[in-house]
Amino acid sequence: MEPFIHTRTLGIGPGRCSTTFALMAVAALASLPAASLSATSEPTRRDPDTGAATWETQAHGVTLSLTQLLPDQVRAFYLNRGFDLADADVFARACVFMTVLRNDAAPGELSFRLADWQVQTAGEARGLPPVGNWLAQWQARGVTEAARIAFRWAQFPPEQSYALGEWNQGMLATGLPPGSRFDLIARWTVAGQDYEGRVDDVRCSE
Amino acid sequence: MMSVAASDTGRWTRRLCLMALLVTHLPGGVVGAAELPPLSHRLTALGEPAPAPALRLRDLDGSTHDLADMRGQLVLVNFWATWCPPCRREMPSLERLYQQLRDRGLTVLAVDVGEDADTVFAFTGQLEPAPSFPLLLDSDSRSVDDWRVKGLPTSFLIDAQGRVILRAVGGTEFDHAATLEQLSPYLPAP
Repeated sequence: MEPFIHTRTLGIGPGRCSTTFALMAVAALASLPAASLSATSEPTRRDPDTGAATWETQAHGVTLSLTQLLPDQVRAFYLNRGFDLADADVFARACVFMTVLRNDAAPGELSFRLADWQVQTAGEARGLPPVGNWLAQWQARGVTEAARIAFRWAQFPPEQSYALGEWNQGMLATGLPPGSRFDLIARWTVAGQDYEGRVDDVRCSE
Repeated sequence: MMSVAASDTGRWTRRLCLMALLVTHLPGGVVGAAELPPLSHRLTALGEPAPAPALRLRDLDGSTHDLADMRGQLVLVNFWATWCPPCRREMPSLERLYQQLRDRGLTVLAVDVGEDADTVFAFTGQLEPAPSFPLLLDSDSRSVDDWRVKGLPTSFLIDAQGRVILRAVGGTEFDHAATLEQLSPYLPAP
């Protein structure tokens, strides 16, 4: 593995003094929050009207993009689908992204399960909240069947297969607090072979 | 057999009454992105054509349509919803496809998932061209589950023997030249 800090690039040169400097720098960096140690990746683009940021990556012939949804947008969407304000607000605060996954040029039909995807935040890896858990919560809170159907189909599919050219667009909640930063690791298989793509330093809407 | 459609008068009355409702019901700002993903230009051939699941639903006017009555025809079944951005984007191309190929035997059934007739009617009244094929209501989402759809939109092409032969997952430009070329072998010559 490549060393984290090259003394030569610091312009100090070899010797005891440079080693001490490097160790001090490493110690200082180690004391920062974990998110600061990740390379900052700027959004791929921003919506000129809403300011919503999109992070997009291509890996192994697959395109994955995450577009911020503002809590007000999410709230309005579900109010129009029959949720009451308190219920819509629960989901609106769950760091929701409009997510697109597309098989542009994978070596075959891909399959994925969101249960295999991970969010890494503050040095910790966690799964995404399952759609089934949300649906159970809505049922327990008395959300109508029509509203629950709309919710289910508005989500990014919990599992899916895409041949060449196929894709979906849907909402994906990370369950993180507003303003959180995270890396998303997406996993899929093609003909039994595992593949992985990641989007780094994504930010939840405030 | 499918029953006779309701009168145009009723349709227009409903259209006018629901115009105001339209503005508050379309979440365009929620799901719109600065750069929309491109619509697909291809359908996926299924290796082993399998018998299509049952599909028997009412349209906006209350008339029942049964896929089982359509043997001998080429049928495109499209699952969609008004709030689904790629569904909305592909719908005009579905109508253009239908206009081009209906005389050669193509039937289109668009199955709305989980919404009521008023919502669907308000949306489709805004489309140009407006759909002239049947808009069916899968209000309890039972049919979309029977067809094992996992995301909207998803479309299936059913051959004259009632078998699923092609599918499209995700928004598709149905009247694109490449898509038409894929459909052509299943249609009688013009």
